[in-house]
Amino acid sequence: MRNVFQKALWDQRRNLPFWASGVALVVLLEAALWPSMSDMASLDDYLQDLPPALREVFSLDQMATGSGFLNAELFTLVLPMIFLVFAINRGARMVAGEEEAGTLDLLLVTPLSTTRLLVQEAAALTLSIIALGAAVFGATMVGGRLFGLGISVAAAVVGATALVLLGVEFGILALVIGALTGRRGLAIGAPTALVMAAYLLFVAGALVDGLAAWRGFSPFDQALHSGPLSPQVPASFAWLVLPPLLALLVALPLWSRRDIGTAR
Amino acid sequence: MDKTPAIATHGLTKDFGKRRAVHVLDLVVPPGIVFGYLGPNGAGKTTTIKLLAGLYRPTAGQALVFGHEVTSDRDRVQGMIGYLPGDFTGYADQTGGQFLHLIGSLRGGVNPARVLQLAERFEVDLGRRLGTLSHGNRQKIGIIQAFMNQPPLLVLDEPTQGLDPLMQREFLALVREVRAQGQTVLLSSHVLAEVEAVADQIGILKDGRLLTTLTMEELHAGARRSIDLTFERSVPEADLRRTTGVKDVQVHDRTAHLSVTGSTADLLRVAAPHGIVRLVTHETDLADTFLDFYENGWEDSDAQRLSEGAVGPTPQPSVLG
Repeated sequence: MRNVFQKALWDQRRNLPFWASGVALVVLLEAALWPSMSDMASLDDYLQDLPPALREVFSLDQMATGSGFLNAELFTLVLPMIFLVFAINRGARMVAGEEEAGTLDLLLVTPLSTTRLLVQEAAALTLSIIALGAAVFGATMVGGRLFGLGISVAAAVVGATALVLLGVEFGILALVIGALTGRRGLAIGAPTALVMAAYLLFVAGALVDGLAAWRGFSPFDQALHSGPLSPQVPASFAWLVLPPLLALLVALPLWSRRDIGTAR
Repeated sequence: MDKTPAIATHGLTKDFGKRRAVHVLDLVVPPGIVFGYLGPNGAGKTTTIKLLAGLYRPTAGQALVFGHEVTSDRDRVQGMIGYLPGDFTGYADQTGGQFLHLIGSLRGGVNPARVLQLAERFEVDLGRRLGTLSHGNRQKIGIIQAFMNQPPLLVLDEPTQGLDPLMQREFLALVREVRAQGQTVLLSSHVLAEVEAVADQIGILKDGRLLTTLTMEELHAGARRSIDLTFERSVPEADLRRTTGVKDVQVHDRTAHLSVTGSTADLLRVAAPHGIVRLVTHETDLADTFLDFYENGWEDSDAQRLSEGAVGPTPQPSVLG
């Protein structure tokens, strides 16, 4: 360990493999169900009876295809939530957690600037979420091959990318709130509340006509509306990248002016 | 050597909400000395240290370390400081060696031989995880990280807590060594005895105000002595009581027991004409003098005399609200 980036990765040496194998296992198990699901002739009829909004939220229309099946079962709710729990917890722990433990002082009373510290933490967080995404991508490819889901490499990449972008957006938000307040509880709580609001908008936008126009503002919509397992990279991914970058830029000067360790 | 003060603060003030933790502090620590920063718990020692280390931003005033302003030149100042926080813990899941390597790397590299030598000296196992170390052994890791890359200024917040007497002595020896190499040390403590052995100067802080800074000579000169005077005939009690610096006069037969602060010249001038048969002085512990400061603080006449002039305005009566 020579710097904060390496240290932040080292901190996850047990945690990250556990999460990565967890998500991979979830994807593989779900893929293993596909052969028996695809044989159910009545599935399509059953799905046609469901409300259109429900079909839209969970991408049930394409349930008859392998990628549609994984989208509905995993990529529109279960996997995003796993990524968000991981990202928000890690992000909150990185600065606010260190500060509450009293160890942040030691990293800062060195020539290391507050800017570099936060950027290195953000980079380590992003990389660990990418690693989680890579596990999902790998499991999707392996499971797809083994159980004949017929998912293209491009679709698997886009699907995993959607999860990574969603995780990075809220994870960086947790990191930034932690850096601005020094409180880990708030750094977990505030992004979690935003996730709930964003998901509510995503679902309500499908159910209520009046909200349909606003649906595009929800990060869930930006990440998931195209599948997310689809061979095309949706333009809305750009909207997922922008907020965390902005949050970092706004936070950097503010966090460098803050008293460290007073929130304990 | 450069005469720029190692530490200089000008009107340094820090508020936390309505609570004023440090009050218009003007502190100057010359380079190459050991400065004992003393005060009771909650006096503002740790707040001052965090202001110097760039972890807090002052509400008013400024702090300079070797002429560099802490707030505007923060990273450079932080690069010049070896810092030991009062609540040092480190990372429970890292070994001492991993932790020191990380901190050393952040400071731009550290001589591994120096680290090993310090670890041997303090008898601490660098292969053990910090979480498994006793409080005292963890504190040693904290001391090593502060000293290992030989920073020009060491800022140590209650460094000897948890150390056994043998290790305290080793620590004090180390402090003397780094002073001999020209490094400056600021050592905070709430017990005088800890810093008495090494400090060249002390500053006494109470309720966020610097009561005084003294050299050790001045402190010793200000120490209160108890003296027994036996006279030829009767004790000139009234005259003795009027003498400057004299307190607690008790008369037994032809002997007066009293205490004197500072010089005994006045006392002897008053007493001599009455014929002194025997004079016994007991040098009281320095700690007693120091305790006077704590108990009576600014109000006490001894403290005023020691401080050699006004330090700050009297406390404002709190506003009702």
